Amino acid sequence: MMTHEIIMAGFGGQGVMAMGKILAEAALREGKNVSWLPSYGPEMRGGTANCNVIVSEDPVGAPIVTEASAALVLNRPSLDKFEKDVLPGGTLIINSSLIDRKATREDIKIYYVPANDIANEIGTGKIANMVMLGAYLAASGAAKEDTVMEVVTEIFSGKKADVIPLNKEALARGAACVK
Amino acid sequence: MKKEARLMQGNEACVEGAIAAGMRFYAGYPITPSTEIAEISAEKLPYVGGKFIQMEDEIAGMAAVIGGSLTGLKSMTATSGPGFSLKQENIGYAAIAEIPCVIVDVQRGGPSTGQPTCPSQGDVMQAKWGTHGDHPVIALTPSSVKETFDLTVRAFNLAEKYRMPVLLMMDEVIGHMREKVELPDPSELEIIDRKRPDCDKDKYIAFKPDEDLVPPMADFGIGYRYHVTGLVHDETGFPSNSTKVADQLIRRLVDKIEMHKHDIIQWEEENTEDAEVIIFSYGCVSRAARTAMKALRDKGVKVGTFRPITIWPFPEERLLELAKKVKTIIVAEMNLGQMVLEVERICNNVTKIDRVNKVSGDIIYPEEIVAKVEEVL
Repeated sequence: MMTHEIIMAGFGGQGVMAMGKILAEAALREGKNVSWLPSYGPEMRGGTANCNVIVSEDPVGAPIVTEASAALVLNRPSLDKFEKDVLPGGTLIINSSLIDRKATREDIKIYYVPANDIANEIGTGKIANMVMLGAYLAASGAAKEDTVMEVVTEIFSGKKADVIPLNKEALARGAACVK
Repeated sequence: MKKEARLMQGNEACVEGAIAAGMRFYAGYPITPSTEIAEISAEKLPYVGGKFIQMEDEIAGMAAVIGGSLTGLKSMTATSGPGFSLKQENIGYAAIAEIPCVIVDVQRGGPSTGQPTCPSQGDVMQAKWGTHGDHPVIALTPSSVKETFDLTVRAFNLAEKYRMPVLLMMDEVIGHMREKVELPDPSELEIIDRKRPDCDKDKYIAFKPDEDLVPPMADFGIGYRYHVTGLVHDETGFPSNSTKVADQLIRRLVDKIEMHKHDIIQWEEENTEDAEVIIFSYGCVSRAARTAMKALRDKGVKVGTFRPITIWPFPEERLLELAKKVKTIIVAEMNLGQMVLEVERICNNVTKIDRVNKVSGDIIYPEEIVAKVEEVL
């Protein structure tokens, strides 16, 4: 298995940290070594936020990702900042609902996912991160959708259980964007 | 019991370790990037019969920890740079009054409020010299989430064994990152409790040391009466103006650690047997050092790594042995050169010493270490 080194980036509040944690937790349950490293400004909602996730068969060394196998960018500043960090042959997933330019790289796989538009169709804009994650899972195989749903189901058990099917739909709709 | 792998944050592992070690009192004032240690302690302590208190500031947090420990409870506080500065006076109080306790500093960019959410290693000299006067220091630096658990247990053990404050010097990366951790079964852990007096209550001399230079410590409030002060004191605990008493006390406090340094000092080294260059690093930087070493070894460059786990007291003897065998030691740290001063003091006449430093709030990348090694070869 290849080592997945992923950058996820967007505004604070878009669920960037959460989707990274969900991916890390799912990969861990599949027996992988994982690390999740957050990076954020002093402010929270509205500030820039990103996290690095590494999924590997081997123990994780430096948890920082500078040469990414994939980048998931949820806003324009994140695309501007991280497009160059994707390794040749790597994957760049762009939230085309909010990002008004195309990628300039020609040596990587690029997917445009209208994550916020899809999330609004599903019924809640908050779930755009899971649309992006669904696209990434389909493109990379870093974790299985079933394992991710197992994690999501635990997070939202109880009072918030009604959002579980919405998450499943978000993952599926995201996955459909890369097929 | 089957060990279950969990995705855990460094700050959470610190609390898990503390509770496993027997922490039953936490006092503090939350501050980024250590806040989760307070939050999780508040959540978990009541379930094990412990107490959590949020004080009005970091100074009071440290003072309350001293009080908690005096009553016999294993006590801890956690903070970051600004709070670590505020706690210094009371850390000195704990040193002279020989109060076992654990102080966690999840280092962020400084000085002052600096960079609250960014990693730094700018407090490692403050750990040694932050409080005034000559005093012993034990400071430990974890480089992974699992090691944060292990070293928190060890910090409590050393505090209890040697009756003194022990510092756990984390950094923002180790505090906030999450990784796979398999916690040991509590029954596998070595847990050390402080020596308590076995003499009659009216015969207790509170600061009379045993042969190991550590005086047995009675819990306050159970009938052993004694005086505790930040002033220089004789064996009864009452202040003394005697120069002889002062000399004896301060020397005993320092000798207590010198005598047991081989029990306290830990380090880790890798590929040092044939190394021409050694990368010296600690905390989160040692992960980048390890990645750099692997990349260089793949190219045939003979590189090893040396990582002090105990930074104070410093693993001086082993480092000097290694220095005699290598061409260069490269000290990589997230400050403008602090621990390198200690490396220079020990190894300056023996080998060349070079530096990789960063104070931007960004962590040191493996590539930056690789570039430095290639430059010096």
